[in-house]
Amino acid sequence: MQLTINGEERRVAEVDTVAALLDHLRVSHQAVAVMVNGAIVARERYAEYPVKERDVLEIVRFVGGG
Amino acid sequence: MEAPQSPWAFSDKERVRRLVALPGVRRESLSKLASARVAIVGVGGLGNASALYLAAQGVGHLTLVDGDAVAQHNLGRQILFRPEDVGRLKVEAAAEALRRLRPELGVSTVAAPLGESNWRAVLANHDLVLDGLDQGLPRDLLNRWAVETGRPVVFAGAIGYEAQVFVVQGGRPCLHCLFGSVAEVAEDCAVTGVLGPVVGMAGLVQAQEALKLLLQVGRPLVGRLWLWDAFSGSTRILEVPARPDCPVCGAAPTAHKG
Repeated sequence: MQLTINGEERRVAEVDTVAALLDHLRVSHQAVAVMVNGAIVARERYAEYPVKERDVLEIVRFVGGG
Repeated sequence: MEAPQSPWAFSDKERVRRLVALPGVRRESLSKLASARVAIVGVGGLGNASALYLAAQGVGHLTLVDGDAVAQHNLGRQILFRPEDVGRLKVEAAAEALRRLRPELGVSTVAAPLGESNWRAVLANHDLVLDGLDQGLPRDLLNRWAVETGRPVVFAGAIGYEAQVFVVQGGRPCLHCLFGSVAEVAEDCAVTGVLGPVVGMAGLVQAQEALKLLLQVGRPLVGRLWLWDAFSGSTRILEVPARPDCPVCGAAPTAHKG
């Protein structure tokens, strides 16, 4: 499927939820910010929140060093 | 404590001459800057860089909070420290370096980590807080302070070649809206490494945002996440909406003081 992730158009395997997409991209579910079409998705909802063709996503890992 | 009188002491009016010339800076704001109390929680790579510029630029009082001692491996990026500081408390070595930089600066030190038992007392009576931490749990405490008081907290982090800065002001959106709880995050520069100027730059962006907030100029990064990737040389800014169901700020009162 075609998605825009962090400003880049990407073709990724067919996924139906945020959780499945994160797993596909091998991104940890902890301390990551996910926005789908401008809305923030709470971590508790990753497993149910739908990802659809042509969605625009931001996936940002929390950077914790100081 | 009173700053020691330096033989080179000169008026802070001279120090802020280039600030006064800036568009949007009003003279009244300068007295606010001179009386501002800013807490820097964590005196590592971020805190070293932000403290240096905030002190030089004329912020009235800095409170430095850190329980650690200077280690040799800090010296590559924690630019207030000299080789002879190794083994000393970071807050003491930093306070000394900052007083040399600006004798009129008020500095107080808390030689302990920020935790559940001390955060309210340590942060009380500050106008603004800078996150210079390298751990998650105390960042959740800073976020609670931002939500409870409505006062600004300038969050930042840097690791590897990456840096982020995010400002919470007025309590929403908050850090939890964005990342959830970060208490369990254990990232370590010892494993991942960090490029000195990357963490320095994040600290300088924090200082810049703190000055914008204190001087009430421009558009601070409130509710916006600034991302810098030095490896690819790219930067992005993400608009972050508040989460209506955020457990930290979702029920935050709308009327804030300060």
